[in-house]
Amino acid sequence: MTWRAAVLLLAGVPTLPFWPDPVPAVAVMTAVVLLLTAVDWALAAPLHGLTVDREGDRSVRLGHHATVTLRLANTSGRTLRAQVRDGWVPSAGARPDVPPDRVSRVGPGGVLLLPNRLTPTRRGDRPAVTVTVRSFGPLGLAFRQRAGRPATPGWTLRVLPRFDSRRHLPEKLSRLRVIDGTQVTRGRGQGTEFDTLREYVVGDDVRSIDWRASARRSDVLVRTWRPERDRRLVCVLDTGRTSAVRVGDVPRLDAAIDAALLLTALAARAGDRVDLLAADAAIRATVTGTGRRDLLHRLVDALAPVHPALVETDFDLIVAEILRRHRRRSLVVLLTALEPGALAEGLLPVLPRLAARHRVVVAAVHDPVLTALTTAPPVRPEDAYAAAAGWRALAERDRVRAALGRYGVTVVDAPADRLAPALADTYLRLKALGQL
Amino acid sequence: MTGPATATVGGPQPAQPAADGPPPAAPVRRRRRRHRVLVPLALAAALLAGTIAAHELDQPDPGDPGFLSPVATDDDGGSRLADALRARGVTVARETDLLPALLGLDRGPATLFVPAAELLHPDTLGALGELPAGRRLVLVDPSRRVLESAGLPLVPTDRRWATRAVGPEAGGRPCAVPEATRAGVAAAGLQRYAAAPGTAAALDRCYADGLVRLPGRAEVVVIGASDPFRNDRIAEHGNEALATGLLGVHGRVVWLDLDGPAPAPTFGRPGGTGEPAWSPTPGGSTGYDGDGTGEGGPGGPGTATGDGDGSGDAPDSAGPPPPDDHPLLDAFPPWFWALLLQLALVALLIVLWRARRLGPPVTEPLPVEVRSAETVLGRARLYQRARARGPAAATLRTAALGRLRGRLDLPATLGPAEVAARVAGPAGGTPEQIHELLFGAAPQTDAELLELARSLDRLTRTVAAAPGRPTEGDPR
Repeated sequence: MTWRAAVLLLAGVPTLPFWPDPVPAVAVMTAVVLLLTAVDWALAAPLHGLTVDREGDRSVRLGHHATVTLRLANTSGRTLRAQVRDGWVPSAGARPDVPPDRVSRVGPGGVLLLPNRLTPTRRGDRPAVTVTVRSFGPLGLAFRQRAGRPATPGWTLRVLPRFDSRRHLPEKLSRLRVIDGTQVTRGRGQGTEFDTLREYVVGDDVRSIDWRASARRSDVLVRTWRPERDRRLVCVLDTGRTSAVRVGDVPRLDAAIDAALLLTALAARAGDRVDLLAADAAIRATVTGTGRRDLLHRLVDALAPVHPALVETDFDLIVAEILRRHRRRSLVVLLTALEPGALAEGLLPVLPRLAARHRVVVAAVHDPVLTALTTAPPVRPEDAYAAAAGWRALAERDRVRAALGRYGVTVVDAPADRLAPALADTYLRLKALGQL
Repeated sequence: MTGPATATVGGPQPAQPAADGPPPAAPVRRRRRRHRVLVPLALAAALLAGTIAAHELDQPDPGDPGFLSPVATDDDGGSRLADALRARGVTVARETDLLPALLGLDRGPATLFVPAAELLHPDTLGALGELPAGRRLVLVDPSRRVLESAGLPLVPTDRRWATRAVGPEAGGRPCAVPEATRAGVAAAGLQRYAAAPGTAAALDRCYADGLVRLPGRAEVVVIGASDPFRNDRIAEHGNEALATGLLGVHGRVVWLDLDGPAPAPTFGRPGGTGEPAWSPTPGGSTGYDGDGTGEGGPGGPGTATGDGDGSGDAPDSAGPPPPDDHPLLDAFPPWFWALLLQLALVALLIVLWRARRLGPPVTEPLPVEVRSAETVLGRARLYQRARARGPAAATLRTAALGRLRGRLDLPATLGPAEVAARVAGPAGGTPEQIHELLFGAAPQTDAELLELARSLDRLTRTVAAAPGRPTEGDPR
């Protein structure tokens, strides 16, 4: 039943005064319209003769466009006139090239391609939900439409994190090369691990001259150093309730993911092995850095569907998991929030076990609202109270920092846009000092 | 986000929560939720419809041909009653029209048995109330219309869902009808009758008003249930004794057996017996349209009538207006009403068109929304509601002191007076003012607290901007 049937019946209304007997005339006209509609319905292309599948992108970086094409094949013997609606979740940002209210025609055995441009607005897995086909008859009076027919082909577009901190990578890599001693060849590498002996050239630091080796040969030899390689780095992402807090417009977890990606890219280039663990009350994602080539890609893929959960993070579980997997000394980077309640009750009791074997860095996203509360000049009485509450929160955070510092934990506390470079700097400093 | 956000990439970690639970279960659950509403409703509707249908099938219809007919042997018939009467020596005269039946009554004392008074033409009902003396009229389940047309001062009152076997003295009233007391318990409890309001008729009531005798010149017995007379139930309880007792009192029964609605009476029958022909009964029947069926017309305004046709609202004396008489109908030509009808059909088609949507709406799994610094702002509001100016001022002063110590490299062991003296230099104030600001009394009003917060803010900014020390990016 479409609007055309109603219009057809409406067209008969002005003729009513000219019929000898108007009431049976209504019955006759209604019957004619219903008969035409029934015939039209019977002549519409059958829905079971349609097959639908998709092709296109499986993953896209947040902020970029993807195209997924719906292929509608008409295997029936009739011409298909259909409206097709491809339903995606709203955050997939689907914009079909063919709007759903346009009627497309497909001949018998033909194939209709319906490209869909997707601009996702959120990270994670964005699924396609339903395909609805409305098959009209040749007169356009009636249509066939049935839920679940043709069957909706499943498709999930994985939206990868944006990785905005990529722009910091070249600068950090050049600093890494300086540490490595490969760029400034005359200088002494700042590493602590003995690399090779080579002949002295003018300009070398005289403190690097290995006198014993020089005595053995008739030449002056200098020692070269390089930073330790093949160290282990474990990134732990806290996906519990504190990571759900929105800093700016994105959850705190997204800033943590960004920092973890930059750190991983840097460490993989420096020759360290990176493992990743995302957990709250349960382990949400794990990546082990066995293959170094596609490590970053696998990491991005694993972190894309991770979302904050409104549960308290089980640090006991996280520490047990790290200790079980990593027996060698590693650098454990814990990306969480400096919340006094969550850390004091969750992390501090189990921290000694972790700090005894590993070097621990706690990285947290600083809340800009807190800074605004404490630095803005107060104007109204509410501002004074808010400033007092903000200072108190900062004091509690400093106490947590001090408590963490007693176990030798390095704390990186930075605003959301500065966390990734700050964490990378901390890593480079630790590497330069040979404290990995 | 409570959905399973799990990814296992690389490494044989077995401890992963299952991620394939909810998605296929969702439509099933939705369908089940719909069933949860639909199944009990459908069950209740089916039960109700079944009960009503069974009841309608079970209740005999007085309009059926053969209903309580002396020659009908099926369940609704009255052949066993006729046989029982004959066995007691009672003459049974079957008449299929009212006029011969009335003529038959004239021949001597007799009982006129009318099982289906509804079938009589309304114009002839008045004759029932004017029988000669010494006759008895037995009416089975008459409706209000029949009682009024016949001029009997009775009205039907409440009606049971099904017939019940009761004793003659049920209802706590002695029964003055000897046939009933002789018969004992009988299936007579269905429709009850009472004296019409405004009439002072002395009634003999039995079976909890299910049987009423109206004494008079010709006595009238009205019974609300047809069960004691019917073939299928006459053998139960005292049904047979009651039926034969009621009918056989005069030794002759004129049994009016109508097999359909009686036709309108003809005035002055050609070739008649010289008997005066029908005269229109005064009062009551002129309002009915003359289609000859007593059944199609609206019944009385009572709560229940004999065969349930109590749909009319208008009182009987006025009668419902005929359909053609409505003034609004004449005001417009017939095609106008047809036009309205067709426009309504068009609207229905539009509703059908718009009612079908192109696929269901798609839901978005919403992310968790936790505002930042929520607890801090909440605590600030708590401070304000509790008027905690003292603790708020103490926190502000401690924080300011901490910042000043950091800026000016003051040792932590310094006393308040010395701190004030050391701060006063770069801040540009007297030590007394600084001491009052940093270590003074707690503010008493919100305005004082605000003034204190402003002064502390100004002090720390002045000290931070003072030359001599490199300022850092963080102003705090």
